[in-house]
Amino acid sequence: MTQKQKIRLNWEDPVTGQRREPLLSPPISLGRLFGAMPDTLDDRRVSRVVLDNDDRVSRYHALIDFQQNNWVIFDRNTGNGTFVNGIRRDYWVLTSGDVLQIGDRAITVTFTLESSPNSAIPFHPETGLPDPHAVLTPSPHSFPPVEFRQSEFVSPEFLQQSGIFDPQTDRFDYAAIGAGLGSYIWVDFLRIFGVRSQQIVALGTQPQPYAKYKQLCLNSQIPLHERLRSNSDSCPDNIWGWPSYALREAWHDLGRGKLANALRYLWQVFAEPTFAETYTPRAGNVFASIDREAARIGWSQMYRYGSVRAIRKTQDGKYAIAYSRGKGNYGYIVAKYLHLATGYPAIRFLPHLQIYREQTRDLTLVVNAYEPHDHIYQHLGFQGGTVLIQGRGIVASRIIQRLFEVRQQTGKPVKIVHLMRSPLQGGRQFGRSRRPVKHHWEFQPFNWPKACWGGDLREILERANPQTRLNLLKSWGGTTTADRRDWQQLTELGLRQGWYDIQFGTVQKVERVGPKLQVVIPSHALEVDFIIDATGLDAEVKASPLLEDLVTRYQLPLLENGRLAVSNEFELVEMRSTVPGESPGRMYAAGTITLGGPYAAVDSFLGLQYAALRSIDALTVAQSPQLHYLNGFSSLQQWYNWAIGRSP
Amino acid sequence: MTPTLLGRWQTRILLLTLVGFPITLPFTIGAIGPGASPIFGLTLLYVILFGLLWDVVYDFLQQFRWDRDWPGALQLLAGMGEAVFLGAIAKSIPLPGLLTEDLSLRWFAIHYTCVWLGVYVASQSLTRILFPRWRFRGGKWLG
Ligand SMILES: Cc1cc2nc3c(=O)[nH]c(=O)nc-3n(C[C@H](O)[C@H](O)[C@H](O)COP(=O)(O)OP(=O)(O)OC[C@H]3O[C@@H](n4cnc5c(N)ncnc54)[C@H](O)[C@@H]3O)c2cc1C
Repeated sequence: MTQKQKIRLNWEDPVTGQRREPLLSPPISLGRLFGAMPDTLDDRRVSRVVLDNDDRVSRYHALIDFQQNNWVIFDRNTGNGTFVNGIRRDYWVLTSGDVLQIGDRAITVTFTLESSPNSAIPFHPETGLPDPHAVLTPSPHSFPPVEFRQSEFVSPEFLQQSGIFDPQTDRFDYAAIGAGLGSYIWVDFLRIFGVRSQQIVALGTQPQPYAKYKQLCLNSQIPLHERLRSNSDSCPDNIWGWPSYALREAWHDLGRGKLANALRYLWQVFAEPTFAETYTPRAGNVFASIDREAARIGWSQMYRYGSVRAIRKTQDGKYAIAYSRGKGNYGYIVAKYLHLATGYPAIRFLPHLQIYREQTRDLTLVVNAYEPHDHIYQHLGFQGGTVLIQGRGIVASRIIQRLFEVRQQTGKPVKIVHLMRSPLQGGRQFGRSRRPVKHHWEFQPFNWPKACWGGDLREILERANPQTRLNLLKSWGGTTTADRRDWQQLTELGLRQGWYDIQFGTVQKVERVGPKLQVVIPSHALEVDFIIDATGLDAEVKASPLLEDLVTRYQLPLLENGRLAVSNEFELVEMRSTVPGESPGRMYAAGTITLGGPYAAVDSFLGLQYAALRSIDALTVAQSPQLHYLNGFSSLQQWYNWAIGRSP
Repeated sequence: MTPTLLGRWQTRILLLTLVGFPITLPFTIGAIGPGASPIFGLTLLYVILFGLLWDVVYDFLQQFRWDRDWPGALQLLAGMGEAVFLGAIAKSIPLPGLLTEDLSLRWFAIHYTCVWLGVYVASQSLTRILFPRWRFRGGKWLG
């Protein structure tokens, strides 16, 4: 789909006081007399903008054109000149948000595309990277063909005749869609429960299961040596959670003579969170452990590159998966048991920031914490500046830490304005307990109270009805950050030294004023250089074309929060693919797309393990091929294989 | 681990039986301690018995914690509390089978410490390996 460039000019008429904001295609002429401006230029129709009642504007004053991917303005050798951001220019490459001064009029230019741009940034379907320009709507001629799309049950003949399905190589018992961390954990369990790697396929766009997760970590300023917000025994590479990351790190450090470190980790896991700060593993260690386990279970043999377009039940009680192999090649895969773990479909922006980005197409001054934004830290390292942060979760903490580091390392005046919607006095209350609050930040070690993973809160939630579940999640979740001493010291230091400032209010408008951003909140206006939105990722099903299609085709029930409704075993029950005389095909889901269901911590390593365990236990009960219940001695044996690095 | 009440009971019975009694054996036959005596096995039975009541108290206290968890440090404090309580009771009221004069507080403490350590280490390692669902079910390993 080609998109046509357009530019919006925006000014207030000096005589009438009216605001004018025409949206125009290039070329565009500006002048006092309509007749003095050309109507065509190189066979293109000229958009003529009349700036009358001002003698300082020439009859044909300036021309704006889109050349070699840039918007440029030419002054037509006028006596009074054309000013861009206050400086006289004969010729200038424009940036969205620039202000032109022609005579009396200050004209703000903003770039837009003809088609209305997406309000959230989707992850590109082929690469999995965040891409503001990704096009998600399939064209009517694209793959899979209409016959596939419109059917509820695909026939085996259709697949045979498609020419891109080979029953020898494209048929599996188990298929994991996404090939991210959720898929990896499910596949790991399948292998440990006895399934051979030839019977499993993991379809996704990046070969390393943590590729997308790692990218989101790096973007949100968690480098490899930094610690995640994750429990010591939340080990994606190890179903038993033993040895935990704290034990492994203690052992490693002990081997290098760092006894004090080793003892500290052990003390932390013994006493956290009451008498010690909660232990969390380093990102790099977690990735390394995932690599090791991936090699052990033969992940690379099971992984197949593929961007999944659509899934349908088949007439013989299975599922057909239509996927793109890239470069215009497509294929089908058939499997009996499916697992959906597609993660976050998009990066979400606060509404006022969406509006700003849509209107200006400026993707550099207003960013989301989850998209790459290193240019901001570089810029600040050169000349300092002020950053406005929104959101008070863990990501905001990281960003502040990073900004502080830039400040320390370069000595430049980096200031932070932390804009919060409203002050926080007391923390959330549930039953007899209350969450602590300091400086308007709410604290807890992880994103849910610990008992959500395996304690009484897990049981309470599983028993509750759908409406109560959402209410319970509201009281346990919300935006919180980790109770880390170093971060609290930073907050206090910043407040004392004046480079960290907390303000309250809702943003009414964001505008480009010269090189700066003006942020209007009810009480006043703030002038900042950058805005970082640290409020979150989008996980609504409708943001994912694959899930949206599935929901529409099979009329799947959605929860009030827009996520998929799953059973306590994480099954999409409506998706059973039944056929007489055989056990039905089943489809499961995991991760953030199931939030609001039987389990709170679905989007966490341990939560993904819980979901995998529940679904595979259910499959074992249903006597699915090759699965053997894992417990007691068989579990010990499998753990031993893990410990010595032998294939399961 | 964030135990539930049922999980506490099941884990207590499992570990004190499977780990506690083997540790008690050398004391019972006199390989360790003041000499062969059934008293160590009996105190262990009382630890289980009183413990089932203690667990109700801990479960109640847990409701005051935001995370509703029960870290190792609290397990240690609770274990010390239980020991002091049991020692004091055994010395003041004659518990069936447990003769006050037979009980050496010093050896009671040594035996109790060994059992506590053994149970703690097992709960952190072997239990997780043998029962992969244990930690997701608040300590329940049955059913
Ligand atoms: C910054 C950050 C930090 C986090 N830190 C922690 C932590 O410390 N501890 C913790 O327990 N949890 C953490 N989480 C939460 C959670 O564990 C991770 O988000 C985890 O990656 C979720 O796994 P997933 O499989 O659901 O999604 P992902 O790992 O994102 O995998 C989904 C995959 O599906 C692919 N996909 C989507 N649609 C399609 C399609 N149509 N066809 C093919 N492929 C598709 C995507 O490209 C992606 O690779 C963190 C999350 C974030 C964002």
